[in-house]
Amino acid sequence: MYLAWKEIKHEKLRYGLIIGMILLISYLVYILSGLAFGLAQQNTEAIDSWGAQSVILDKDANTSLQQSMLTKSQTDKMTLTKQESYVGQSAIVAKEANHAKVSAQFIGLDWDQFIGKKLVLTSGHKPTKANQVVVDDGFKTSNYKLGDTIKFNSNADTYKIVGFTHNAKIDIAPVVYGDLSTWRTLKKLPDTFVASGVISQNAQYKPGVDQLKNYSVAAFINKLPGYSAQNMTFTFMIAFLMIISLVVIAVFLYILTIQKIPNYAVLRAQGVPSRVLVSNTINQALLLVFGGLALGVGLTALTAALLPAGVPIAFNWPILAVVTVGILLTGVIGALIPVKLILKVDPVSVIA
Amino acid sequence: MENTNTIEMHHIDKTFGHDTSKIQVLKDIEFTAQRGEMSLVIGPSGSGKSTFLTIAGGLQTPTAGEVRVEDTPLTAIPVKKRDALRLNKIGFILQAYNLVPFLTVREQFRFVDRIKGATHMTEDELMALLDDLGIRDLINKYPSELSGGQTQRVAIARALYPNPEIVLADEPTAALDSERVTVVGELLRDLAKKHNKSIIVVTHDMRLKQFADHIYEILDGNMRQAS
Ligand SMILES: Nc1ncnc2c1ncn2[C@@H]1O[C@H](COP(=O)(O)OP(=O)(O)O)[C@@H](O)[C@H]1O
Ligand SMILES: [Mg+2]
Repeated sequence: MYLAWKEIKHEKLRYGLIIGMILLISYLVYILSGLAFGLAQQNTEAIDSWGAQSVILDKDANTSLQQSMLTKSQTDKMTLTKQESYVGQSAIVAKEANHAKVSAQFIGLDWDQFIGKKLVLTSGHKPTKANQVVVDDGFKTSNYKLGDTIKFNSNADTYKIVGFTHNAKIDIAPVVYGDLSTWRTLKKLPDTFVASGVISQNAQYKPGVDQLKNYSVAAFINKLPGYSAQNMTFTFMIAFLMIISLVVIAVFLYILTIQKIPNYAVLRAQGVPSRVLVSNTINQALLLVFGGLALGVGLTALTAALLPAGVPIAFNWPILAVVTVGILLTGVIGALIPVKLILKVDPVSVIA
Repeated sequence: MENTNTIEMHHIDKTFGHDTSKIQVLKDIEFTAQRGEMSLVIGPSGSGKSTFLTIAGGLQTPTAGEVRVEDTPLTAIPVKKRDALRLNKIGFILQAYNLVPFLTVREQFRFVDRIKGATHMTEDELMALLDDLGIRDLINKYPSELSGGQTQRVAIARALYPNPEIVLADEPTAALDSERVTVVGELLRDLAKKHNKSIIVVTHDMRLKQFADHIYEILDGNMRQAS
């Protein structure tokens, strides 16, 4: 460690540049994976917040909540417990005279069931009347506030925002929580339809109706419009980014080690064992990569804090851990590729 | 009777290259160095002095012949043992000065302590040595900040610091003025006489002749004793 540290201290510019490069590469990987994960989360945020285990839909609805509809005759045969909740989903455009239009997802609830009961508000209160709604914080970026009255699509009915909730997005659009009767209005459905589907916290929930089917939440999420295509794109993007970054870091540390060979020859001439030189190489690679990563994490945290609220960014700790360990390992491997050269350094090569 | 030979070389040949570009640099060298004596090997540039010295110290192996350091046959022992021998018994003063570029003068000595896991000189002893060589004020400088002569003297101090039994010096006075040559010559002679070390110096600097017990001449790869 002594040699490794002294060398870094003596050649601040060279080692500073290497640390800077590792910092930028790790920053790039962290931020991009954070953005990808953040966007992926916006597909499912609301569903995640419900703590759902399964979704009961019409079996011919192609696993889509939007396409599914449950009739009164079907729901009459089902027994709902405290763990089930009706949900009516409809894509809408919300508008208010003074603000920009917002493409949103309307979720109609029975407020006495678990989703409505569990819903956590950041401000305001839950609806007490059918013409009151709770909306996602995302509406605030378009300057909507408590007490605003909004219209949906081309309907003349007005609804009042009585509460805000956080992290409620589905299909990358902010959610408007309202009444199931409003859902029927938006869908122009008669009273014989009850909801789009049933969300259950019980993975084994049996609807007991032939036409209805229980889907696991994982299967349901994978079928969300564009979700798996989007995730595959991001996964490949980040995988390629990782591989190329790792090669670049390995190459840099390889060059660094090669440049040290003449110094190592001097040390070998003095009788310093090869083992000391190899461990010096590893230690130095670790110091540089650790330094770069630590700064990268710091800069990432700073960026995440400073990004506007509308930019989706979220961090998945297992992925970050894999990225970090990957960068550390490749740094050491890159530095050690020339280990044969280190072991074979010829002391005579430095003797005039 | 105790063997006072520190380095013995028998029938040493050294050739470089192959076929038509083949050159024989050393031819059937016989050489013995003794404790308490300073030997001087003199020869013109390109005569094979550096090659001779690096073979004597185990930095490279001869094409043929045997080298024994304190009765250990260098060619017959594994690299690790040869490293240890070099680290513990031999002080090299090399033509290329062999200082570590990113360590200050003080750290060059500290580093020796670290590698060998022992402190070799008290601060006072070290300062006295540096004083003798006129480099005491340079203790916090990096090698790149030193002149050729200063670097050479630091390299000498660096080689003597761990108190080696054998000192092998390659042109140690090349960059020094006459006054410094006397200092270095006396320092090396004292090491042999007062501390019973074995000193071998290769050089083309005739000013060192007066300090030596034995003088050899090397010419076209052949070595003969001059006095
Ligand atoms: N590694 C080597 N490969 C080929 N030739 C070498 C090598 N080392 C030394 N020589 C040649 O051996 C001869 C003696 O070199 P050297 O021992 O350095 O001489 P000196 O130290 O007396 O100036 C020179 O002609 C030099 O070119
Ligand atoms: Mg030479």
